[in-house]
This record gives sequence, structure tokens and C-alpha cells, in this order.
Amino acid sequence: MKKTLLVALLASMVLFACGGDKKPSEEDFQKSLEEELYDEVEEGIQQLSGEELNALIQIIPSPIEISFLLRELGTTYDKSILNDPDNVSNYNTNFKKALNLGVYGTDLGYTNIFEQQQEALYYLNSIKDCADGLNIGQFFDFATIRRLATNSSNLDSLLLITTRNFNDINDYLQNRKRDNLSALLLFGGWLEALHILNQVLVKNPDSEELKERIGEQKIISNQIVLILGHYGKNNPNISDLHKEFEELDNQFRKVNIVKTQGEPTFEEVNGVLRIIDNSSTTVEVSKETLDNINRLTKKIRANIIS
Amino acid sequence: MKNLSYTLALFLFVLIFNITDIKAQCNAGSFAEKSISKIDDGYTFLKSYKIDGQGGGLDKVEQSYVFSKDATYQLNITADGNETDGIIVSIYDSNRSLKMTSFANGKFYNKVEYPCNATGIYYITFTFKDSKNHCGGAALGFKR
Repeated sequence: MKKTLLVALLASMVLFACGGDKKPSEEDFQKSLEEELYDEVEEGIQQLSGEELNALIQIIPSPIEISFLLRELGTTYDKSILNDPDNVSNYNTNFKKALNLGVYGTDLGYTNIFEQQQEALYYLNSIKDCADGLNIGQFFDFATIRRLATNSSNLDSLLLITTRNFNDINDYLQNRKRDNLSALLLFGGWLEALHILNQVLVKNPDSEELKERIGEQKIISNQIVLILGHYGKNNPNISDLHKEFEELDNQFRKVNIVKTQGEPTFEEVNGVLRIIDNSSTTVEVSKETLDNINRLTKKIRANIIS
Repeated sequence: MKNLSYTLALFLFVLIFNITDIKAQCNAGSFAEKSISKIDDGYTFLKSYKIDGQGGGLDKVEQSYVFSKDATYQLNITADGNETDGIIVSIYDSNRSLKMTSFANGKFYNKVEYPCNATGIYYITFTFKDSKNHCGGAALGFKR
């Protein structure tokens, strides 16, 4: 009787264990992380709770917004300011792969928005290399992305699928307690967007909008310094990055963001509730600070993409 | 034979219990996925959110994001059926000042637009008012 009961219970356990949603190459992924980052970062996660870290990481905005802004301002596409897709062969560590996956993600968004289909394919290949190297390539639907990237009329679908793929990766990493890698990916993407903004400002030095957008990055810089400080406690690579980044954050601290509060007003348009926020912000930043931000961003980026 | 019947009955009990349990779980991921497809033309998808109120165990589910000045953000909510099942999305600025809510004049809106005039960290908070399942999803899009 006991034996039969045991078999029945085991059968039910197996039945429900099969209902899990494990990704196919999760084992490979875990193994690759353990090779390099797992031991070092595991201890560093102890300081902030997972919830607090995820909240900090969530704040980092999509770099795609910057590319839309640049297109709206009428700036021209400049391939020379992006990371060379061929550099991907230099990235032999998970640390570099994660950072440059973010960098290439931003570059892909920029090339897509400026409808540079051929360039986008090069970046896609580099993204594939980095993602496969980290064993997270299964999150990218490369065949569909390639097909969409060959026709500029597919821009909306292309942006949707790539953004969704990157979000899925971040969710996956965070849920698997590998948020350090997610943080590096997002940081690489954000730094590349900042670099692009800086370089476009160099060519358009009178653009008040660009100056304001760069100054506003102070808000994100404040969050990133916390994230890197946390993970850097027990990881020499992230610790070095954190030290470099603190210099940049010190420049952002000189930026003054002035907020004027106003009461919101509401209106309904075609069944959609639209809220007009009457608050506003203005950014005060000197040329010297902007130059320093550019110089230090270049310095950090050079170490990342080398 | 009696023992076998008893074992089978127990097996069926375990099976039914697990199925009931599965049904009671919140599949917020599928609602979040549906929300992405509801983003209006002209908006670019940024993020999707799973809203799992744990059957009423949580009062709110909160996320944060940096909204940029001069961009318009759209948030939509998907829950079981056509309505929002009492899920309300509200946006607060970094001073926790309420900027927007999808429950206004006694009506639940499943889609809201927020033209942002002040760059900063915003808290996107999902709460429940007379919700049946405390379960849903949302998606955030933007346009310039």
C-alpha cells in the first residue's frame, strides 16, 4: 500500500514539475555566469534588497527615447560616433559582453530610427555574438528581426520586437538573481546614449534642447552610482567601473534641475483620459560641466568598448 | 483492489487540488503581453508590467521610470474581460505628488495619456478598487 501511494504521489509530482517554464539553455547560461561573475557578485548583493535593486534598475529609461529626440531635432545620422560592430571579437569576458550588449543595443536603436538598414544588420550580428556568448541568445528572434530590418516600413514592428527582447532578457536575469548582469547591460546602453547625445552636441553647440537633455541625465546618474557601488563591493571589474563613474557623477552633481510645481488638469479625448501636467523643469548647466561630462563619458566608454 | 482504489482516489485529489491551485494563480504575464498590442499607433513600446495583487494580498504594485520632458506617455491596463477589473493606475512624481490617475469621475479608464513637462523619476502605482481577481497587466508607450 505504502509503495503504491508513493508511486502515485511521485507521479503527481512529476506531472506538475513538467509544467514549469524553464528556458531551454538555462543550464548553459548559469554555467557561463558562474565562470566569471557568480562568486564575485553574489556577496555584493547582500547590501540592498532585491526589491530595492530592481527598483533602481527599473528607473533606467530606454535609450530609444534619445534616438527619437535626435531624429526629431533634425540631426543627421553619424556612424562614426557609434561602437564598431567588429569590436565584438575583443569582448572575451562576460563583464565586457554584458556592457557591450547594452552599447550595441543602443546603436541598433539609433541605426533603426535613422533607417540605416545595412548598418542595423551589422549591429544585429554583434548583438547576437554578445548574447550567445552570455547564453541568452534564445531571447532574440534574430530571423524575424533580420527580416524586419531590411525594410524601413517595418520600423514600428522592429522597435517593438527588439525592445521586447531586451526587456525579456532583463526580466529573466533579474528573476534568476543575476541582476548584476542586467545592471551592466542597462548601464552600457545608457552610457552609449549619453555618448551619442554628447557627440551630437559637439556638432550642434547652440542646441539648448541637447544641453538640457544631457543635464537631465543627472537623475539617472544618481541611480547608477548606487547600483555600481553596490555590485562593485565584491567585484573588481565593477568596482573599477564605479570609481570611474563617480568622477562623471561628480560632474552631474553640478547640474541644477529647477522644478516648478503646478496642478494637473484632466480631459477625456475619444475615451482616453489625458492629463495635462502643469509642472515643469528647467536645467542649468555650464559649458565647462558639459565639456567635462563629454570627456569623462568618452574615457569610461573607451574602456568599455576596447 | 481496495488499496488501489484508495490510491487512485488520492491521486485524483492531488491532481484536482493542483489544477484548482493553478487556476487561482494570476497569469499577469499574459495580460501584460496583451497590453503591448493595445498601444496606440504613433506610440513606441517601452515597458510592460505584470500586476499581481496576490489575490488581494497586496494593496498596490509599484514600478518607477524616468519620464522625459516634451514626451507623451501612454499607459493601458488589461484585465479579465473588457474592463480593468478595478485596477487603477496612478502616476506620482518623485515628491509623491499625484500627477495622474485612471479613475476619475467614478469611471475606470483602461488607457491614459500623460504629456510630461518635467523630467524626473515617476512612480507608476497600480491599486485595486473592488477588484475581483487582483490580476492584470499594463504597457507603457511614448511618443514625441
